[in-house]
Amino acid sequence: MAIIGKRLVNQVKTTGLKATVAQRADETFQRLTTGLSWDDVRGILRGDPPPKPNPRVKPHTEGFWFHIRPTFYHEATTTLYPTFRLGLLSALFFAIEIITGIYLMIFYTPSPERAYSSMIDIITNVPFGMFVRDLHRLGAEVMVVVVTLHMLRTFITGSYKKPRQFTWFTGVVLLIMTLGLSFSGYLLPWDQLAFWAVTIGTSMADAAPGVGPTVNLLLRGAPDIGAGGLLRFYLLHVVLLPFIGIVFLAVHYYKVVRWGISLPPEMEAVGEDSARKVSPDKRVNFLPDIATNEIMYIAIAMAILAISCATWYRAPLETHSNPLVTPNHTVAPWYFYWLQGLLKIPHIIPFLPADIANGIDKFFANVIGITPKVLWGIIVGPLVFVALAVVPYVDPNPSRRYGQRKIMLTIGGLFTALILYLSLAGIPTGVPITGFGFVGGAPSAEIGQEFMPDEGDGNLMRIPFDQMVVGDYQVTADANVANAPELNAIIKELYYDMQRRMNTADPNGRKLSADTVAQVKIAEIQPDLKQITLVINYTDDQTSAAQEFSKFKFIHRDSEH
Amino acid sequence: MSIIKKIVTFKPGFNLRVIVGLISVVGFLSACAIVGLGDLSKALGAQDAKYTARSIEAGAKVYFEQCARCHGADGKGIDSQGPALNSIAFLGKTDAGREVQKSQRILDIGWVGNLDSYIRAVTTSGIPLKSSNQWEVIHPAFGQAVGGNLRDDQITDVSRFILNWAQNPATSGTIDSPKPGAAFVPKPTSAPLTPEQEAGKAVFLKNGCNACHAIKGVAQGNIGPNLSAIGTDAAAIITAADYKASQGKATTVEEFINESITAPGVYIAAKCPTGACPANVMPPNFKTTIPDADIKSLVAYLVSLK
Repeated sequence: MAIIGKRLVNQVKTTGLKATVAQRADETFQRLTTGLSWDDVRGILRGDPPPKPNPRVKPHTEGFWFHIRPTFYHEATTTLYPTFRLGLLSALFFAIEIITGIYLMIFYTPSPERAYSSMIDIITNVPFGMFVRDLHRLGAEVMVVVVTLHMLRTFITGSYKKPRQFTWFTGVVLLIMTLGLSFSGYLLPWDQLAFWAVTIGTSMADAAPGVGPTVNLLLRGAPDIGAGGLLRFYLLHVVLLPFIGIVFLAVHYYKVVRWGISLPPEMEAVGEDSARKVSPDKRVNFLPDIATNEIMYIAIAMAILAISCATWYRAPLETHSNPLVTPNHTVAPWYFYWLQGLLKIPHIIPFLPADIANGIDKFFANVIGITPKVLWGIIVGPLVFVALAVVPYVDPNPSRRYGQRKIMLTIGGLFTALILYLSLAGIPTGVPITGFGFVGGAPSAEIGQEFMPDEGDGNLMRIPFDQMVVGDYQVTADANVANAPELNAIIKELYYDMQRRMNTADPNGRKLSADTVAQVKIAEIQPDLKQITLVINYTDDQTSAAQEFSKFKFIHRDSEH
Repeated sequence: MSIIKKIVTFKPGFNLRVIVGLISVVGFLSACAIVGLGDLSKALGAQDAKYTARSIEAGAKVYFEQCARCHGADGKGIDSQGPALNSIAFLGKTDAGREVQKSQRILDIGWVGNLDSYIRAVTTSGIPLKSSNQWEVIHPAFGQAVGGNLRDDQITDVSRFILNWAQNPATSGTIDSPKPGAAFVPKPTSAPLTPEQEAGKAVFLKNGCNACHAIKGVAQGNIGPNLSAIGTDAAAIITAADYKASQGKATTVEEFINESITAPGVYIAAKCPTGACPANVMPPNFKTTIPDADIKSLVAYLVSLK
């Protein structure tokens, strides 16, 4: 200390106080910026062209974070095309998920007794709790989209070709990690949505020949999902999958820097990779151009995400999971719809007569000895990822030019179209045209599910509390309850929905009988608590017997359905 | 095509980047600020109210599935099934969440906690004591922890539902416990058996009386009369007309029970679990097969059942 003080005193004596302070301040500043002086930074901020020699490359040799970034990009890769910044955004969303995830971890307990009440606590008692949960959930869904688009872009521009085959391979692993992280996070809220979506997902593993039951037992920790399964999914979600993800992200990113971002195909000679051979006049320095560009895209993405979560987006939370009650219309997460569609083969082939489709089912079950569910779900489903992973190793075409890759681009286009079609076919409302796989009960029960679903909200539950006037109301086109316009509107909506179901058959060929009458009953149970009951009297289209369907919900004044 | 080309080859200039970036940062920060300020003021409270409301809705479902059978759909109780919950005596009264009248029930039984903890405790583990002999049905233990079918969160829900009546509890038409006007009398726990009564209980079991007779907590036989309260029942029988018309000579409870064991044919009791009591079923030879001392202790045991 004494020595430093002595030196400082000497410096002040020789150069004067002002110069000493300026020199010391600049020294500290350069330490913080890993080598940039105040003048350099001011030049960067003013958009000045770099002086020669360029001091702006110093942080790339001095600092860790800049050293993992390249010092310059090829001019042709700095426009929106060819990258669309999708790789950057994938990494950004991964980072957002980690940060928001750690915040949520503080307040979450992975046990069946506490998990759901942790969620309620996060929403109702943790500052920024609901906001961070919304960010985490929306970020996860957007991340699936961004990662998929990133892969699609890489395929279309042929950027997986030599020397970037392994980069592509690690990318496929990261895609699987993204889906795995998203799926394993699905169970953690421990609500009905989580419980049943994951029950469906893991029961597919159960169908695998030989190892299926063992895999299922390992995942669930018991024959059914319970405390063990929740803990395992939690550990997968917060430890194993992020760990693998970070390892592969590091490798993936190293490869990207090592080989450079591939140039637009039309700029390169066939079979040549010139991304790293950038003539000085084509170089765009990382500081300040690339950095500000990236910061801008990151800021835009963050702003859109944050504003969405502050305004319209709410992560769903249904009622506490109940292994004894399966809600109607339970579905897998949307990014697994294609897998659900795959399970419905051959019934999803358009215009294939049902007899032939059933024949194919029987042929598989009786002659080959496995059910289509096993074949398509367990064998073909994972093979999709294998097929993706080997694309760069089996594509013999050295050219990246669009005109010379007609076969591969066609295959890619068909594959994308197929995945989209399978996703469409996987939606529980059934396959287009044939309606196969339509999940639905009697038309009366479907009305009940539409207007007051088992989980989530229907229109009957959304009537403002004060307009739920106590009484019994016949469902007619001219409902006219005093001072309750929204109640009247919903009753009318119910009436027209019934008319539609009387006139057009559902994909199972079932219609609501023409003599159907319905009633909406509203009763007050407690102060601020009402019971709304839907009663439908109809003649069953299969047994011709008079039937009554009735379903009720309790609605509290503050529950905001 | 040229528009698309312009878009995909678009490269924002430095100034544009800084401006758009700054606007986005401001957008992000204001979204955070709006959420933060909202949380500080009343947004968390609104969420709290919303999820409490949904908890009450879930509790209503549990109540109508599990509780309404005995406590009534309106919560006013069902006579000889279950006491009123929607009652000013049970709930006291709250106004905007503040207690303005204390629950009489809590005061009666000297419960240390509040009404919510009492409701949870009773729902989970059953009623801690048979508080008056008004109720034939003992409260079941619903908590999963003690073998019932309700999870902890469902018990929380149902407690919130019941307490939701406290804003405006019913003041009439309720079946309260204790019955309106009656003093609250905790039922005394039964006195422990004397050594002689204990010996009599052993005699009862050793000689197979339990095959035909029921004693609450001891035996489940359903051929002969239920002896759970024979000490009280016998007193009524010896003064009844049909006994006086029979060959029975007993004038005290002890004599009657002794007579019923040693000479079962002289008087056939009227009411048995499956209908009228059958004659000639009880063996007539206990006087010779059971030592007198054993019969004496057996009588002493049965007399104590009240």
